[in-house]
Amino acid sequence: MAAPSAAGLGRRLRAWLPRIMPVRWSRYNPSYLEPEVKKESYQKPLEELTEEEREQMELKAVRPIKAAPPTLSSSVFSDPMISKFTNMMMKSGNKVLARSLMSQTLEAIKRKQLEKYHKAPENEKETIECNPYVIFHQALKNCQPIIGLSSITKGGKTYQVPVPLTDNRKRFLAMKWLITECRENKHRRTMMPEKLSQELLLAFNNEGPVIKKKHVLHKMAEANRAYAHFRWW
Amino acid sequence: QLDHACALHTAARAGLSSVSSQDVPAERPRAVFHTSESDPAKHTEQHEARLYNIPLEEVKAVFPHGLPHRFQQQIQTFNEARVMVRKPALELLAYLKGSIFSQPAVRYVIYGERGTGKTMTLCHVVHYCWRQGWLVLHVPDAHLWVKNCKELLQSSYNKDRLDQPLQASVWLKNFKTSNERFLQEIKTQKKYMWGKHESTEEGRPLGEVVEQGLARVRSASDAVGVVLRELKQQSHRGSFRLLVAVDGVNALWGRTTLSKEDKSPVSPEELTLVHNLRKMVMNDWSGGAIVTTLSQTGSLFKPSSAYTPQELLGKEGFDALDPFVPIPVPNYSPREFESCYGYYLERKWLQHEKGHTEDGKAELQFLSGSNPRQLDRLAGPL
Repeated sequence: MAAPSAAGLGRRLRAWLPRIMPVRWSRYNPSYLEPEVKKESYQKPLEELTEEEREQMELKAVRPIKAAPPTLSSSVFSDPMISKFTNMMMKSGNKVLARSLMSQTLEAIKRKQLEKYHKAPENEKETIECNPYVIFHQALKNCQPIIGLSSITKGGKTYQVPVPLTDNRKRFLAMKWLITECRENKHRRTMMPEKLSQELLLAFNNEGPVIKKKHVLHKMAEANRAYAHFRWW
Repeated sequence: QLDHACALHTAARAGLSSVSSQDVPAERPRAVFHTSESDPAKHTEQHEARLYNIPLEEVKAVFPHGLPHRFQQQIQTFNEARVMVRKPALELLAYLKGSIFSQPAVRYVIYGERGTGKTMTLCHVVHYCWRQGWLVLHVPDAHLWVKNCKELLQSSYNKDRLDQPLQASVWLKNFKTSNERFLQEIKTQKKYMWGKHESTEEGRPLGEVVEQGLARVRSASDAVGVVLRELKQQSHRGSFRLLVAVDGVNALWGRTTLSKEDKSPVSPEELTLVHNLRKMVMNDWSGGAIVTTLSQTGSLFKPSSAYTPQELLGKEGFDALDPFVPIPVPNYSPREFESCYGYYLERKWLQHEKGHTEDGKAELQFLSGSNPRQLDRLAGPL
């Protein structure tokens, strides 16, 4: 008696569920507001707020707030570039492993630089940079290409046309090249933190295979500058 | 005692007390959390939460094995070995200073949660005993003897037991490095046969037994057994003081992951090394002390939340070690945390600009929960 009625109930209920169930990039109602994580914005006293900030605060009292994504952090040590790089290093969603590799890389860079620092004579000590974050950011900046190539088909033939790159694309290319370089062109048994720290230090000093790849891309763009007018954007 | 600690804390904060100026040299204002007293015998509560330096030559002599891996990396990066003087270590040192050597050896068991500094406390005590001229029998990690053993030989001495040549020879090599002079002074009291043709006569220095063990790797475990036996029998005479320091003593009474050739499991008593070490840890000898540490990290078949002696030793181990003096090791106190944080800042280990701010310090304290290992791991990438 219970079993057929339960099955019928299930069939009838299923008809009420929407066909698309957004799970990952969940679609919130437009009335939901973004969460505010910065500590400084909550520590300001009422008088210092401007008109719009006061309005924003009143809105927050009545509107619902979206759930904070796991990558958003209120820690003073969080860095969006490092998070992006960790995400790019991640394989099959194993963020724990990617994050531990990243922290081991930063520690490896710091150790190498500190050992160099302590062995160096007094006058050279200021030139040695020991902060792994500064090295990381500078290395990424050095690896970013200024101009890229895009394949445009015209009259049946495909041409490699030099094209300006957006900031996001430059950052992505730099990170992608670093990671692919470490994954593919190194000895099989070296650990990722070791390889990455070596590559980052080379890129910081404007040496190494990634910088070479950037220069090769620049030269190709320079060589193909005749086709630049094929670009229509 | 609480007022004493509070007063010292305020004194440390001010940085200008007569207490600290005695051991802070005048030329360069070395920070308050350092102490120039590098002899553990002179460490008192005055030196609590301060870091003392062990000269690098002594580190090589005293600790050929036994220091945690991360600490060894830290020694290499900073070019110095700084150990924090903490309450459990001071307590142990006080007990050792007051111990009566005609009485049977007292057993001390250092226990605590993961990463609170049990191995470092043991190393502090080992350094003290070495400085005082004791003979130090340091087993860096007893868990290494009950797992991941590639070669298991049937013992020639006793058919039921199994030998571990590799582990025994490694231990003998490190034992030799730290106790050179004793090996010449102590003589054997019996004739020992190594197989059919080789033997060590009575009255030969113990160094020969060690050489025999290193040369003939097959008989290394038996050599270890002979060394332990001789030391135990001769320690009551008083010519030397013996310290038995075992890290991860709960390995001796647990289970092993090793198996014999017919795939049957090996219990710890069937291993020669474990059998002899168990005899060493008994309190039926006098003229020294036994300091041991419990460790869940390398242990086999124990839940990760277990840290008390009852849980880790099991009934058999607890009954074997009973009676012992338990020494709990807690997480960092606020003063010790300040001291460790200040040391990292001074050595330029915390490179992140926010790491120098009060917010960063509060965040580190919260995230690590004042646990020494967590603080070390967190401060690594920063």
